[in-house]
Amino acid sequence: MAASVAARAPAEPSLRRAVTPWGSFSWGYSDVGADIFVGLGLVLGAAAGASNVAFLFAGLVYVCIGLAYTELAAAYPVAGGGQYFVFRGLGDIFGFIAGWAVLLDFTIDIVLFAWSSIDYLSKLVPILSFTAHPWVHFVVVFVVITGLALLNIIGVRESSAFNELVSGLDIVSETSILFFGFFFAFQPQLLVHTMQLSWPTTFNLMNGVSLAIISFVGLESISQAAQETQRPASVIPRTSISLILTILIFALSYSNLALGMQPWHALPLDAHGHTQPLWRYLGNEENNGSAVAVLASYVPYFGALAALYVPLLGAILLLISSNSGVFGSSRIAYAMSGTQLLPSAFQRVHKKFRTPALSISVFCGVAIVELIFAALPSLSPHVHALYARLFRGEDGITFLGDLYAFGAAASYSFVFIALISLRFNDSQSPRRFKMPFNIPITFRGNRVEFPVVAVIGFIGIASILVFTMITHEIGRIAGPTWLILGTIGYLFYRRRKRLPVFRSQPHDWRKAQINILQSAGELEMMDEYLVNIRRMDERRVAEHIGPL
Amino acid sequence: MKRFVRSEGYARARLVSGALFVLLGAIVIVRTLAVTGPSFGALPACVLGAAMIALGSLRYRDYLAARARR
Repeated sequence: MAASVAARAPAEPSLRRAVTPWGSFSWGYSDVGADIFVGLGLVLGAAAGASNVAFLFAGLVYVCIGLAYTELAAAYPVAGGGQYFVFRGLGDIFGFIAGWAVLLDFTIDIVLFAWSSIDYLSKLVPILSFTAHPWVHFVVVFVVITGLALLNIIGVRESSAFNELVSGLDIVSETSILFFGFFFAFQPQLLVHTMQLSWPTTFNLMNGVSLAIISFVGLESISQAAQETQRPASVIPRTSISLILTILIFALSYSNLALGMQPWHALPLDAHGHTQPLWRYLGNEENNGSAVAVLASYVPYFGALAALYVPLLGAILLLISSNSGVFGSSRIAYAMSGTQLLPSAFQRVHKKFRTPALSISVFCGVAIVELIFAALPSLSPHVHALYARLFRGEDGITFLGDLYAFGAAASYSFVFIALISLRFNDSQSPRRFKMPFNIPITFRGNRVEFPVVAVIGFIGIASILVFTMITHEIGRIAGPTWLILGTIGYLFYRRRKRLPVFRSQPHDWRKAQINILQSAGELEMMDEYLVNIRRMDERRVAEHIGPL
Repeated sequence: MKRFVRSEGYARARLVSGALFVLLGAIVIVRTLAVTGPSFGALPACVLGAAMIALGSLRYRDYLAARARR
């Protein structure tokens, strides 16, 4: 851990651009790579024999999202991610809604990953087990969240070198698991047999797909890295494509192994004394929070070693991800406050520590409320009965997964629309990377490339949003309630400040873009941008004056 | 860490892992198709194999680029 104070203040305009390509990759990996540790067990529990299909569907949507983020982060290399792109492409109110959805995700991120981190540790320290000792589990998760909040308030973060080391170790570890699994224990016959025998109902498949998307959340880190990378337009596309493929491979590999791998040693019998398949064992309540560690322990040869260190490595990676939720929520709130989408209180910096203490406290407070709501059924039999009646008995981690999926699907949907809008309304900004498959058209005299993949991605993510609403009793209520309450608060705030309520404030995007490219060191792109806008202005003047 | 990721050893390790990914991807596709034929059940495994081959190829390209820079 390294102390960092002023230089780490959120949305500081002078963030040092010192992140290398490997640093940029590991930054994204430590955010997105941790997701499969949480997602695998949940999806196996919901989608059973179609878990690999659920991951495939969510994975293909994720590839589209990843390509969209790569294009936007390389063209607009500023922190803020989805919130900034939507703000710029669709205006103030949609920028607020997207940012508010991202904030929901960050608060869930804090709880879900702290919860799961303790689940993984419980494989080495059984007293932390959620099923056997729910009160101990709850208290430890509470202490972890409070501790992370305090560390962020006093300005202590893990160093980027630590991040890079953990990401590197995890990639080597996960790659080893899948090599040993596929070379020595994968049986395609078993995979097909499991898929046919344990194919879920349509409802459960939709449920599985909506949970599978949580294995691919965290792409905000791509734009975060873009803000601090030297020459981001050339570095970000290279590292992003590698990151997207790596994450996709791990998610598809684990789900295919869970369905089609012959375990290296016998599995315990189920509660009725019957033998059980590996996927069902991984997806049960006892193991769904630590499925990757359990799967790794059944891999031939490597499993004995993996059982010792994978729980610890997973716990550390998840803790880093939880911490990125604390840090990310305060940074997004700070940025939104700077553009008058949130009250200026969220920009207030602690006098002594020079960190956004209020933002950190508010969003960690929200995270603790979510933790209590998620943990209550396991702590009190009365609440358990109430949840069973009202919410079909969803357990705590599934509740968190629901909201995580809702927030991600909502914000990603807006990002696709923003990308299409920016292609039309800001065709002058140079794009060193573009999503593939574009249709050239002319729009208001400008040559524009219509992004077909963005439309496909939007349809995919919108359908996942619909699946989430259909299949999750709590997510259906809590997710939209979060957005509606936030929007009402936004409208009141803008009205009180005498700012446009539904329309946007005037923004000088040209000046902003020149500053962005200049500070990124992308001087060639800046020159190209200046030439493009001059040409456009000349054409507009010529059209206005008409032929002599 | 920074010194390590710039070293020749790291570039070679990526080349080897890239080659292994291409090999593993091909094995996954061939074994699955041999059992199931071209069916819906084979789709997730085939996409996985294709993604492995793509990642392996990307690493090989990165290796060539790193060598050209030296």
